[in-house]
Amino acid sequence: MVKREERANAGARPAVTVVDLHKSFNALEVLKGVSLTAREGDVVSILGASGSGKSTMLRCINLLETPNQGTICVGEETLCFVKDRKGRVAAPDRRQVERLRRGAAMVFQSFNLWSHMTILENVVAAPIHVLKRPRAECVAEAEALLAKVGIADRRHHYPAHLSGGQQQRAAIARALAMQPKVLLFDEPTSSLDPELVGEVLRVMRALADEGRTMLVVTHEMAFARDVSSQVLFLHQGKIEEEGPPDTVFGSPKSERLRQFLAAAR
Amino acid sequence: MDIAFLSDTMLQLLRGAPLTLELAATSVGLGFVLALALALALQSGPAAVGWPIRAYVATFRGTPLLVQIFLIYYGLGQFRQTLQALDLWGFFRQPYWCAILALTLNTAAYGAEIIRGGLQSVPHGQVEAARACGMPPWTLYRLVVLPIALRQALPSYGNEIILMIKGTSLTSIVTLLEITGVAQQIISQTYRAVEVFACAGAIYLSMNYVVAQALATLEHRLSPHLRTPNIEDAVAIEGGLH
Repeated sequence: MVKREERANAGARPAVTVVDLHKSFNALEVLKGVSLTAREGDVVSILGASGSGKSTMLRCINLLETPNQGTICVGEETLCFVKDRKGRVAAPDRRQVERLRRGAAMVFQSFNLWSHMTILENVVAAPIHVLKRPRAECVAEAEALLAKVGIADRRHHYPAHLSGGQQQRAAIARALAMQPKVLLFDEPTSSLDPELVGEVLRVMRALADEGRTMLVVTHEMAFARDVSSQVLFLHQGKIEEEGPPDTVFGSPKSERLRQFLAAAR
Repeated sequence: MDIAFLSDTMLQLLRGAPLTLELAATSVGLGFVLALALALALQSGPAAVGWPIRAYVATFRGTPLLVQIFLIYYGLGQFRQTLQALDLWGFFRQPYWCAILALTLNTAAYGAEIIRGGLQSVPHGQVEAARACGMPPWTLYRLVVLPIALRQALPSYGNEIILMIKGTSLTSIVTLLEITGVAQQIISQTYRAVEVFACAGAIYLSMNYVVAQALATLEHRLSPHLRTPNIEDAVAIEGGLH
């Protein structure tokens, strides 16, 4: 397998930029100013204890949560969130939000496949109805994607008839069908039985090797260490430590990261 | 048993059947559109539309349909001058339109509650997945929310449709000659209430049997994802491939 850093292309354009992101739920401040840059082809793993804000950060990038402050840039689309004098944030323009989301496909912990559609329909729905591409083209592409994630034979089944691992691979195919600038993975293996984790991680490794830009919130330390080009460690809504995986895992500077890694081992 | 009388009664009652079906189909159809609009307004409209809708639903669910038909036809008839001034008298002077209005408002109140329940049963994660790929709100409703919500609401809504078919019998009170109206007419001439109402009951029963079968078929068609895949499905899938 190719090591990410060796392949990492310092000259590549940034695919995702997040600057000084703040998010509060009522009085609870979950993100206290986090920033990150992922260039094209980067795989950024986001680690942290539960409640550290890592999922919220990922959800903010897709605007499933609206930040209270900060800038999010995916591909060509940039959204700025600034507080006015009363401390409120203006609602972002819906169409711009939709355009940004098309470039930032999301894979959820609980798959969230549309239960009333077959696997193939799940994969072609957004390309046809959101990107307005011709159906035949979308179907051909979807079949190729399903073959790639290894569930082509399940394309006419419904999500409830698939195992968790197969559902998550279908969800990855659905995300890929949007031809996004970046793939956002929100704990993609956390609700899977241990014996099914491997098949999903294998697909994710293959995508990383293809040079896809990925942001991955995960508890899979081996995956983060082997596949990432960059690792972020979040603690209480701030980035406590970041860097290439060898540095972050090999010589953690902060006490919290050392404790976290020791507990994860 | 007087077979000749029964068959004659049956034939006469069946002449009321088209009106029964027309009243039921019109009010269920219009009521569904209204119910869907009300449920969507409750779910995602501004807060200000919430309480008038809830008041409407409470009123029409909380009072008997018979009273509603009565009040709309005879009650509003008291305000003839006002209705004439508003150019609405042409509508309200006809028992047919008053019956349609009462049935529609009644079924829409129940329907709004049924659909609201369906909308609430849509898993949040599936809505989020649709938003996350940049679906505009209308596309999201059309592709994800409504198919799931309406499928979920179907069994209860089927119940409501059957109740409405039976509910049309109350419109005989405002002189409409649907099945029950015709039955009462025959009884007033023959005084043979038991046989006539038994025939009328049999007609309602067979109508509702057909409707229930149609609903069951529809429900089966709409829920392949809720069944364990069986051999027939697998064969159909394979058949679709080649």
